[in-house]
Amino acid sequence: MNQIILEAKNISKSFGKTQALKNVDFYLNKAQIHGLLGENGAGKSSLMNILSGIYQPETGSIYIEGKKIKKLNPDLAARFGIGMVHQEFRLINNFSIKDNLTLSRSNIYKDNFEEAFEKYSDIFSLSAESKTLINELSVGEKQKIEIMKLIFNNNNIMLLDEPTAVLTPQETNQLKISLKKLSSEDNKTIVLITHKLKEIQEFTESIFVLKDGVMVAKDLKTQSVTKNDLITLMMGEIKISKVRKDNLKGNNKLEVKNIFFENNHSNVPTLENISLTVQSGEVLGIAGVSGNGQVELANIISGIEREYKGKVIVNGKNISNQGVRARKNLNLSYIPENRLGVGLAPGVSIIDNSAVKDYFKSRLGPHLSSNKMLDYLNLLIKQFSIKAPDPKAEVSTLSGGNMQKLLMGRELISNPEVIIAAQPTRGLDVSAVEALHELIIKQRDNGAAVMLVSEDLDELFKLSDRIIVLYEGQIVREFKIDEADIESVGLAMAGSIE
Amino acid sequence: MFDIQLMGLLNATLQAGTLLFIAALGELITEKSGILNLGVEGMISVGAVSGFMVAVNTGNLFLSVLIGIFSAALFSSLHAFVTVILKQDQTVSGLILTILGLSLSALMGKKYVGKKLPVKIESLVDIDEPSNIYEVLISQNYIFYLAIFLMVATSFILKKTMFGRRLEAVGEDSRAADSMGLNVNKTQFIATCVGGGFSGLAGVYLTLSYVPYWTDNMTSGRGWIALALVIFGGWKPYRTAIGAVLFGFLEALVPRLQTYGFELSPYLVKITPYAITIIILVVLTIYKGGRTGAPNNIGIPFFRENR
Amino acid sequence: MNKYLISKKIVTNDLSTFYSFLIGLSVGITIGSIILLVQGQNPIEVFSLMLRLSVGSIKSISSSLNKATPLILAGLGISIINSVKLWNIGAEGQIFMGGIALNFMYISFEISNSKLSIILLLLSAFIGGSICILLPAAAKVLFGVNEIITTLLFNYIIIGFTVYLVNGPWKDPNSLNFPAATYVGKEVYLPTVFGRLSYGFIICILCTAGVYYLKEKSVFGYELRISGGSALTAIYAGINAKQKAFIAMLIGGGLAGLAGGVELLSQTHRVSTGLSQGFGYTAIIVAAITGMRPLGIFLVGSLFGALTIGGTVIQTMGVSSYIADVIQATTLFGALISQFFFTYKIMKVSEDV
Repeated sequence: MNQIILEAKNISKSFGKTQALKNVDFYLNKAQIHGLLGENGAGKSSLMNILSGIYQPETGSIYIEGKKIKKLNPDLAARFGIGMVHQEFRLINNFSIKDNLTLSRSNIYKDNFEEAFEKYSDIFSLSAESKTLINELSVGEKQKIEIMKLIFNNNNIMLLDEPTAVLTPQETNQLKISLKKLSSEDNKTIVLITHKLKEIQEFTESIFVLKDGVMVAKDLKTQSVTKNDLITLMMGEIKISKVRKDNLKGNNKLEVKNIFFENNHSNVPTLENISLTVQSGEVLGIAGVSGNGQVELANIISGIEREYKGKVIVNGKNISNQGVRARKNLNLSYIPENRLGVGLAPGVSIIDNSAVKDYFKSRLGPHLSSNKMLDYLNLLIKQFSIKAPDPKAEVSTLSGGNMQKLLMGRELISNPEVIIAAQPTRGLDVSAVEALHELIIKQRDNGAAVMLVSEDLDELFKLSDRIIVLYEGQIVREFKIDEADIESVGLAMAGSIE
Repeated sequence: MFDIQLMGLLNATLQAGTLLFIAALGELITEKSGILNLGVEGMISVGAVSGFMVAVNTGNLFLSVLIGIFSAALFSSLHAFVTVILKQDQTVSGLILTILGLSLSALMGKKYVGKKLPVKIESLVDIDEPSNIYEVLISQNYIFYLAIFLMVATSFILKKTMFGRRLEAVGEDSRAADSMGLNVNKTQFIATCVGGGFSGLAGVYLTLSYVPYWTDNMTSGRGWIALALVIFGGWKPYRTAIGAVLFGFLEALVPRLQTYGFELSPYLVKITPYAITIIILVVLTIYKGGRTGAPNNIGIPFFRENR
Repeated sequence: MNKYLISKKIVTNDLSTFYSFLIGLSVGITIGSIILLVQGQNPIEVFSLMLRLSVGSIKSISSSLNKATPLILAGLGISIINSVKLWNIGAEGQIFMGGIALNFMYISFEISNSKLSIILLLLSAFIGGSICILLPAAAKVLFGVNEIITTLLFNYIIIGFTVYLVNGPWKDPNSLNFPAATYVGKEVYLPTVFGRLSYGFIICILCTAGVYYLKEKSVFGYELRISGGSALTAIYAGINAKQKAFIAMLIGGGLAGLAGGVELLSQTHRVSTGLSQGFGYTAIIVAAITGMRPLGIFLVGSLFGALTIGGTVIQTMGVSSYIADVIQATTLFGALISQFFFTYKIMKVSEDV
């Protein structure tokens, strides 16, 4: 009989209009490795943030070792031994490993640090010395320190948010061994938050699946479920597309030839020999788990990233060496993945943000006509039914859906020839998603060539005419939509090509 | 004769350097916690005038020093309140702290301009014209030895003690420090007040020994030099001390240049430390990829994430 | 035990800067009054005298506005640079550099037409200010060197350079006690509009309008706003954010230099260490208190000019002129503190189990 160490009952949480979690039940068995599976936006992070006390749920209660906790906050969670490894590390780069492990108020290895460090270095097969500075470590090593930090802080419940996203296959394998040792030898309770099926099957003993804020499966025994079961649970039944696919396709509007790209800043997969074409009136879906080169590809096509090898051709014109402005003049629109921060400038007004694409069209020499800008914004508001009461208010005061409508409206109102849309509907509610999908289809029917980057398979299947799967910077599969099925696309995304 | 002149120069260098160093060390502690306080000039001034006022009125040296330190620390808590608790812009707040400190101290000290001190901070050994380095070193003011002690202590505390490492952790990465259960706001508040206290000590030294009298604006830019010193020293106590000696040397050298028969303009000599500091900053930024030794989170207010 | 969390309010009041200023001003006046009371003065008497002597007559109003001119010009420069979220702490040095460049032009070239001469001299003051910020600006955009520190350090370099000039090469032999450069000729004095009001104030009005236009209505201002909002959005929009920031810094430094030029041609008539009396620092207060809005800088700058004049003249009553500085500084502290409550919401988090 398993001992339940932590239990969350009937948890609900919403942000504005979107409900992130709906009456979710979740529990952890002591000294087991659990998997929490779900797509992006399924509510995994919200749930973990509630367990570590950062968010307050609207309903529900949390029990730790059977005791009900009224209002969990980060300090309290830490005191009960709940610790989380975030995707961005919380390590102090200029400090030594030892400092990072011991400065915490709840450090339990004050006197026998060396002994403990040796023991866990062994478990994690870490070769660095304790006086090594964090910034001299590789990403994989840093992550080991992050997990060790939890151990040194006496956190017996360890929540790991996408820990393998930054790891090489070898490091991933090593992590698996270390975590198994931690749970079996050290009685640690571990949660692995991920959307990678392969890992969840290899790492865990028990699996929870979240879909659209609902816990669709609880405490599944890992041995007794198949990959296909998990895909169905995670992605849901694929709805039959209501979108007409009788669209007429025309000339090649966007051609990408033999793109090679190396990213020096991190060990995100580089792009290797990417070639693709998108025809007029066609939607090409780019499937893939985030971080497999999609953002880089979109940045290269839109002219933001200039250091690459290969060719980008729009309407037969080679634009490989041209900048953002020149590509915009060819009527190429880019809806970036990062809505607020890239597509829209936070802290700047709605009206200013509405003009980012075409502000030079509202200019008269050095003069920028505020009337023209306002007319333009009002047109956007009307045409794309954006709810924006005050044009001078900061853009971040808009809801996520309205922000995205503003961004997409701005990029689409000129009926662009080529549209690059990255994660256009992520984190939005159903009605906003519907409206944005209609926009994309309308552009397609107008003869635009659309490249849709998405992790949401429903979306890809609904809108695309063809789907290309990117994995570690390479095109691993290409499907025509009527030949594609969700399982094989999902498997290709997870890196297994049968 | 030449020896005595040289020793005089050394003596003046150490005296000028001590003042700059104490203020810079205080600012270093504040900045290590991630808070930039541009109000050093104002804090020195507040410490200087309050110490002087107490000395004139009571004749009690110990009390004067204590009040000088305390009043500057209290004054700096205004900056701490506005920037740490209320998360307002550190640049703006620090600058006004300087303007406020200078004008407040001028107002407070108005009746004390030209007053004679009944007491003065003593030297360890009284030697009128030291003739060798040993004599210079033992004939310094008590504050000089205190400054050396503070340098060693600060360096030790920052590098070797849990308290110091935690202070630095807050200034390096307040989010990570928060995840370690450290109280970011409290640490920054205390570090800001400690920095103020150090400036107060520098101020007391100014009015009770270095000059010693009170007049408006007598800090004459030393607070800003202290800020430059922290950068010069790469946020390290010992290197800051070397910088202080260099800046002190130039301050001491300037009035003596003519007697030595140099044609060099003393006014241009005075500029050199600032120019050197800028060059060092630029070179460090270029070659160390931005790692000038500055705490990572300096100037950035800390918000705990919450929804 | 309770803990408090703070987070940004989603909707902020558009007029919050104005309200904060009013609250700040009342804090400033209150603290000023307390200090006066402690010193045995009657605050109402002092303040009414200050009011009378700073805005009570055409003569005093024009003195106040003359005093406000360098504050406003330097403040405008700071506000342009802050459009890209950068700070210029070096306005004080740039003011001096403006004066130095002007004087250099004056003694190097002889121009018979005095109007043309004045224009060229002011232009060189502007360029002088730009040169003064050139290195910090280049270091910032090329290598990311912290501009707060470099612009600050340049103040001391330029002021030291000024001291050198007025004691050395430019020293006026007739000025024995106070080291200063030789006076410029009367033909290049800025004329007065009426009373004592210098044409410098007209320049100031024009610059306010110009900076307002540049920041709010021009393509350049738009590109600055986007660059300041998010560097990534600027790249995405095809804006060369670094180049824009560089130009903004040169213009901002130039305006501070112009402040020095106007001050020289209308007030001091020569280069000396008294060319700026901390105008560059007060200008930062003026710019910060108004949330970097040009019209606000114009109004608050005028008010602070009057306050400074009021502070100077009440010295005859035996009241220190520093009271004006205290009021200005506490006004900004008051405004900063009240601004907090307009921008943030505070939540109580219970610590009980």
